[in-house]
This record gives sequence, C-alpha cells and structure tokens, in this order.
Amino acid sequence: MMDREESIQIKDRPHKNLHEDKPPEEHVSRSSALSDEQRLKVLSPGMLVIKRFLRNRLAIIGLIIIAFMFVFSFIGGLVSPYDESQVFKYIGTMSKEYASVTYNEEYRYVMADGRDYNAAAHAKFILARNTGKTTFTHQDTEYVIVEEGDAFYRIVSSQPIADITSFRGIVAINALDGEALTESLRASATEAILSGATQFTSEGVLYTVTQNGREYVLGRTGDAAIESKNILEPAVAGTTIGYSFAYEAEKAVRAENVSSFTVDGQTFEIEEEENLSVIYAVTDGGKTPYAIFSRMAIQPISQDVFLSLAFKKQLIESVAAGEAGFVQADQAGAEIEYSLSRLNNVYTVKSDTLTHLISIHEQPSWTHWLGTDKHGMDVMTRLMYGGRISLTIGFIVVLLESAIGVILGGLAGYFGKWVDMLIMRIVDVFNCIPFLPLLIILGSIMDTLEIDPQLRIYYLMFILGIMSWPGIARMVRGQILSLREQEFMIAAEATGLSVGRRIFKHLVPNVVPQLIVFATMGLGSVILYESTLSFLGLGVKFPLASWGNIISGVTTAYEMTNFWFVWIPAGMLILLTVLGFNFVGDGLRDAFDPKMKR
Amino acid sequence: MIDDKRMKEDRFERRPSEVSLTEASLLEVKNLKTYFPISSGLFSKVKGYVKAVDDVSFSIQRGTTMGLVGESGCGKTTIGKTILRLTEITSGSVTFDGIDIHALDRRALRALRPRIQIIFQDPYSSLSPRMPVGEIIGEAVREKRLVAPEKFDDYITGIMKDCGLQEYHKDRYPHEFSGGQRQRICIARALALNPEFIVCDEPVSALDVSIQAQIINLLKALQAKYGLTYLFISHDLSVVEHISDTVGVMYLGNLVEYADKASIFDNPLHPYTMALFSAIPVPDPDVKTNRIILEGSIPSPANPPEGCKFHTRCSYCMEICKLEVPQMQTIGAGHQVACHLYKDGRRIG
Repeated sequence: MMDREESIQIKDRPHKNLHEDKPPEEHVSRSSALSDEQRLKVLSPGMLVIKRFLRNRLAIIGLIIIAFMFVFSFIGGLVSPYDESQVFKYIGTMSKEYASVTYNEEYRYVMADGRDYNAAAHAKFILARNTGKTTFTHQDTEYVIVEEGDAFYRIVSSQPIADITSFRGIVAINALDGEALTESLRASATEAILSGATQFTSEGVLYTVTQNGREYVLGRTGDAAIESKNILEPAVAGTTIGYSFAYEAEKAVRAENVSSFTVDGQTFEIEEEENLSVIYAVTDGGKTPYAIFSRMAIQPISQDVFLSLAFKKQLIESVAAGEAGFVQADQAGAEIEYSLSRLNNVYTVKSDTLTHLISIHEQPSWTHWLGTDKHGMDVMTRLMYGGRISLTIGFIVVLLESAIGVILGGLAGYFGKWVDMLIMRIVDVFNCIPFLPLLIILGSIMDTLEIDPQLRIYYLMFILGIMSWPGIARMVRGQILSLREQEFMIAAEATGLSVGRRIFKHLVPNVVPQLIVFATMGLGSVILYESTLSFLGLGVKFPLASWGNIISGVTTAYEMTNFWFVWIPAGMLILLTVLGFNFVGDGLRDAFDPKMKR
Repeated sequence: MIDDKRMKEDRFERRPSEVSLTEASLLEVKNLKTYFPISSGLFSKVKGYVKAVDDVSFSIQRGTTMGLVGESGCGKTTIGKTILRLTEITSGSVTFDGIDIHALDRRALRALRPRIQIIFQDPYSSLSPRMPVGEIIGEAVREKRLVAPEKFDDYITGIMKDCGLQEYHKDRYPHEFSGGQRQRICIARALALNPEFIVCDEPVSALDVSIQAQIINLLKALQAKYGLTYLFISHDLSVVEHISDTVGVMYLGNLVEYADKASIFDNPLHPYTMALFSAIPVPDPDVKTNRIILEGSIPSPANPPEGCKFHTRCSYCMEICKLEVPQMQTIGAGHQVACHLYKDGRRIG
C-alpha cells in the first residue's frame, strides 16, 4: 500500500518539478520495484494472532484487569504490612458481668465438724421434709430432723450405745462396749420403752429408741448439720465459718431481742438491717465485721473476686429498692459504676472494665484501607491473600482439567473406534454426575474428617479438576476428529511421517488455539465456582481467605447494610476477574479465528 | 525453470530397479476391491458395503501418465488412496515396482512412502495452516534424512524453484498464497521426496482455467525432467486429453474402458465413454455437438444394479446386460472395454 502511494507521488513529481536534476529513470525504477519481495513484512500465524488480539480493546481491558489482579494478589500480599489472619485489638471499656444476686429459695446446709453430711444426705433431707417424715437414713446412719424454726432445721444422727430387751415389763439394758450409762439415763430409757416413745431427752441430750422385734437399740444423737434457707457468708476474706457459729448465729438472729451470742468464748454482736444482718466479732478494742446473714445469695462471676461487705450492703439495698444501678468505690477508692439488670429472679451486676477488645467492623481508614471484618482482620490484606488462593485454584484446576482433557480427548479423537467409544461414555457419565450436590457431600465429609484447611484447598483443586475435564476432552476430541480427516493430515501420512510427528507437529498446533480460548474462559468459571463453594462453606475454610468466603462471612442483613466495605470489594474483585478472563477469552477466540481480517 | 546442472548435483542416485525395469509396468493394479462397511444400530452391525472400487485392474508404464476419468463418486479418488494405502484394500493387489504395497508391514510401508506421492484436489485444506512453507516441503525430507543437512536448504530451494516458487516463500504461511501457488507448494512437497510415482487427485479442479494450464504444464515439465509416472485423476476430459498417455474410464467402481489416449478419444467403445466424451465442449459456436444425454442419475454404490452396472442408463441395453457382468475384453490394439456390445473383438449390438 505504502509503495503504491509512493509510486503515484513519484509519478506526479516529474510534471511539477521538472527543473530538478534527478533523472526520471530513478522514479520509474522505484515505482516498478513493487515486487513480491518488498511487500509488508509477513507475519507468522502466531504474530497475526497477537496483533489481532492487541487490536481488540475489550481484550486489552481484560488483560489489564487480570494483570492488576495478579499484582494485587501476589505482590500485594508481600507489600501489605499485615498478615492474612492477623487479628487487630484495642484496649477499651466493656460492660462485663461482675456479680449475680438471687433471693435464695433453697435449703443450704452447714455440716457439723467431723461429720460426713454431704449433698446426697442433703437431697434425702429435702425428700424427707417434703413427705413430712422426721427421720431419714443415709449410708447406714439414721438422721433425725429437728425443727428449730421456720425453714431452719437441725439434723442429728444417732449412734447405738446399748441393746435393750423388754419382756413383760422387765427392761434389761446392756451397754455396748466402751459405753457407760448413767442411772438417770437408764431410768429415762426404761420409761421410754415402756411408754413406747421413740425419742427422749436426758440431761439435755436427745436419745432414740429403735425397735427391732423384742429388742431395742438405744441410740445417742449428735448434731450432723443445720439446714436453712438463710445464707451466712464471711464479711472479710479469709474467714471460715464453723458449724457452731452458724448454728448459734442462726438461732440468735431468729430470736427476737437477742443482739449478741457467744461461741467458744467469743462474743458476737448482731446488727440487723432490713434484708441482712451483719455479725460483728466483739473484741477488747471494739467490734469487727465477721459475717453477713441474709436470704440473698450474692456471687461474683469471677471466682477470685471477693465481694466486700460494703458492696454487698449497697447491692442488697439497691436490689430491694429496685434501682437500675449504683456507684461503689472499689478497694483502691475509685468509684465504679455498676448496673443492675433482672432476669427472672436473678439480678446481674455489670461493671465497665478495661480489656483488650477486637476491632470488629472498623470503618475504612489509613491504617485499614478497607476496614476490618467481623473477626477484626484487615479486609484489604485478606482480599490480597484471598486473590492468591482464588487465582491459584483457577490456574491449577484449569491446568489439571486441560491435561486430563487433552490426553483423553486426544486419545479418543486420534484412535477413534472403541477407544473413542470408551472415553466418550466416561465423559457422558461424568456429565451425568450432579456437580453441586456431590461437592456439598464431599464438603461435609471433609468437615466431618476435620481436614486441615490448607489440605482442603488441594482436595478442592483436585475435585474441581477431576469434575470439569469432560468439556475439554469433548472439545479436543471434536477438533482432532475433524483435523484428522483434513487433507494435510492425509498428506502427512502419505509422506511417511511418524505418528508422533503427525500428532505433535500437525494436530496439536491446530488444537492449541481452541484450547487456549477454552482454558481462558474456564479460568473465569473455575474462580466463580470456587467462590460459590467457599460461599456455601464447602471450599476454602476460615481462617484462610478466599474471595468467596470473605463474602460468606457477611451473614446478616445488618452486616450487609452497615459494613459494605467487607463484602462489596470482594464481590467486585470476583466480578472483575471473571469479566477480565472472559474478555481475554473472547479476544483470543476472535484473534485465533482465521476468518477475521488482519 | 528446469535446471539440468542442479538436477545432476542434487538429485540422489536413482534406484537400480528403475534402470533395469524400463519396459515393465511400474504400477500394477489387479482385481482391486475397496469396500466401505455400512454399519448401523446399537452394536455397529455391518449392514452392507459401499463398493467404492469393485474389481478394477490396470497397469501403468514407467514414465507415462494414466488419466482416470468418471463422474463424481465413481471411485476415482478411492483408487488413488488405495494405491497409496491411505485406504485399506478389501481384496486384490497393488504392486508397485514389484512390491505388493498392501502386504507390507508398517515399517516397510513407511520406507516405501517417499516413492509414491499424492497431490490433492483442494490446495487449501491440504496444507497445515500453522507451518511455514519451507517446513511443509522439507519436513519429511529432513525426517527421513534424504539429503545431507548442509545441503538441505539448497535442496528445498531447488525444488521450490522447479515448482515456480521463490526462495523467500519459505518463511511464509499457506494462508498468504493464492490457490495456484498453494498447489505448487503441494507439488513441491510431493516432489521433495524424490518420488517415482505421483497420484494427482484432481489437482487442478479447484483452480481457475489459466492457473490450471500453468499447473498442468508444470506437471508435464517435471515429468520430463524427473521421469515421473502419474496417475492423473480428473473429471475434466480436456485436461486428461492434454496430459495423459493412457486413459481409464470409471463408472460406479468399475473400469469400463481402458486404452491409450489416441484410440479412446478417437474411437470410444463403451456407451458410457461415448456419452462422456460427447459432453466435451467445443470452443466453436458453429459446431453442433451431437450430445448424448444420459437418463437418470448414478445409482448408489451401496446397492448397484445387477449385471452391467450401467444398464439402467444405457441406451444400448440388452437382456444380457441385466443378468451378466461384462468382462474386460481387448478390442484391437490394447483397447480394453467391458461391455456386452462387443464379443470376440467386434461389435455385435
């Protein structure tokens, strides 16, 4: 074309510029130089394809998108200062549960020293009390319930001290080994036997008589425990409350007009308030708080916290007044706000405490360009690492499916006959397998087997590759079938070329274009498939990131509407990548199409 | 175009057989049958056969050209392919230079391949689109080490020049060439292997008339230069008349008439040949040709008529034609015909 234009110009020139001393022969010779050898540089088919491809604007856009994705995923991950699953935290105040308060409706027991009155015995007590019995047996020991007041029982157990035989009014008492019986006890026992009583008191001690045919067993009782609905707790840390103190304190509080009592030589004073009583130990120098007595069960949430007397007093006051919260100074003197909330009969006390908090759903900022997700991880960084996985899976799956597809499709196409028949029936079978249900089953199997997330990715690649080769095999087979009958293949056979050369120099180069187009288009769909599977929770598992599972992290409408920065970027990346691969695939298809003009 | 000096230098030694057997026929086809099975149904049960070539015998002398004419679908191309063993034979034999081609094993066949070449009808599909022309022509030469590597380039250039191609065409791709040039490439590819026999399967029918003449003349020139033997398959009678020494006429898988060019064109014996030759256009508007119009169309080769296959369309059809298959008989000097009209060397009908 250029040559022709030039020649026209040159032809025109002699008329205009005759005065120039250039010989006209030169022009003639130049214009006649339009020979075959001087044509435009001839391009090979490969170069033609590249040229046509580069002329396709959409394909270039696709190529740029894909290049960007690669840079973003593979270099971005290296540049990013954060790790894939690095969790960001900050120190902040958080309302934490501090204590709970209940109005106690259950019996609690305090065991006497040296006795083994346990929870099982306690349960039997409850049973006996509810059925109106006064005795119950636990581990071969008989216990007697002695009512001391309203919802206040003393449990005594009896130990045999003598065998008694009664015959026609004659009572014979035989003391067991090591027991000495006083005369008054013997008299009281005889009297009780004759009157048929089962209990009697002698010298302030309760005795029991158990009949066993004509024989009787005389038992002496001792305190085993007290059962009460009231709660007696130490007022200061480190104090332990003994049985006798508990018994005496309970009796003293219950009794009217008693403001002090003595246990083991120590005098205690009671200060009664509306809902609780404080028991002080009286010493020479004055009195110190010793225990708190109330129907309220106050328990700290954390076991190592000891609730102070002042806190408990304040708390019970607030609960009784129905307040929503109160302020109480802690041990260091700092005022801490507590809030009270009620659920059924349980009041929960919450306080604001300073703790390490995870930066969940942080808005985009210079430190986190796309904010953080619900696990407090940097969204941008996760997108980069997710892109790596998505693209790697895409490429490896396509490579795998192409390898299987080309080999099997090539065999089927080249050899035909029963080989073709067999392979194509396998392809049919694979096409009949419902893809998604199978993957869902495999996904749940992998969940059950608790397969390592990293390993799971390899399995995913393998499964996707195994499942998607039939398309390529079919395409390659079709191509080879049609190429095999082309005259250039027959000519190659006629020239006596070897089978290998015929396949690799004549067949394969003619299949490669379609294969490249197919594979490029396939990349997009594999990435989409991986996203779908990850979204359904079957593919790449947290904490590893993939674009699909970043989106699936957003599960509620609230998250979706408020935290757009978590899912929109991942969605955009999937969209752009698939679009990019499709653009490039379309561009390649057009470029490889020989019917396209150059 | 023909360079004797190059010929002496570059062509490799002729095989001894060629020198010693000048009088013998180079190719002998005897009772050749090529049937294609028709299979259908679930288990590919063979239901019948397409008798593409049904009992054909002829022989070609070294250095001559045999033209093979006939309607489309009469089995011309199948004969060509069967001679090259690109299609397997059903029965009969193809003997090339004393070698039964269809009895060879794979290795021997590959060794023999360069000696028999084929040029196809369609120059567009017979060249691999992803190979430069130099590679297409020289590929098999290189693989078979027919020339020394240092002489390879010159050898290919020489062949290309013989075929009217330029040296710079080597690096170009088939799509950049016109139909005539492509056919030259095909001829160069065949010629590069130094064959003795070339099957030209309608090599000019896809080309326009002026190019046809160039190609035909090229083939003739090459034949003169290298002493090639051609089987020239065509349905274009004027081309066949121009190039051939002997001519065979085929109808529905059978060779119905076979004679040297002069006697068959001057004195066609078989009714089919007569009808065929009457269709040759004469480039003179004043000449009234007495054209024989054949009724009906060619019957299916899967289910050919009984007796003489041509009897359904033959204007001379007799009772015997419907019952008996006519045998090849010689009339006069080597003029063979298969027709019941002739008996004991003379026409009876």
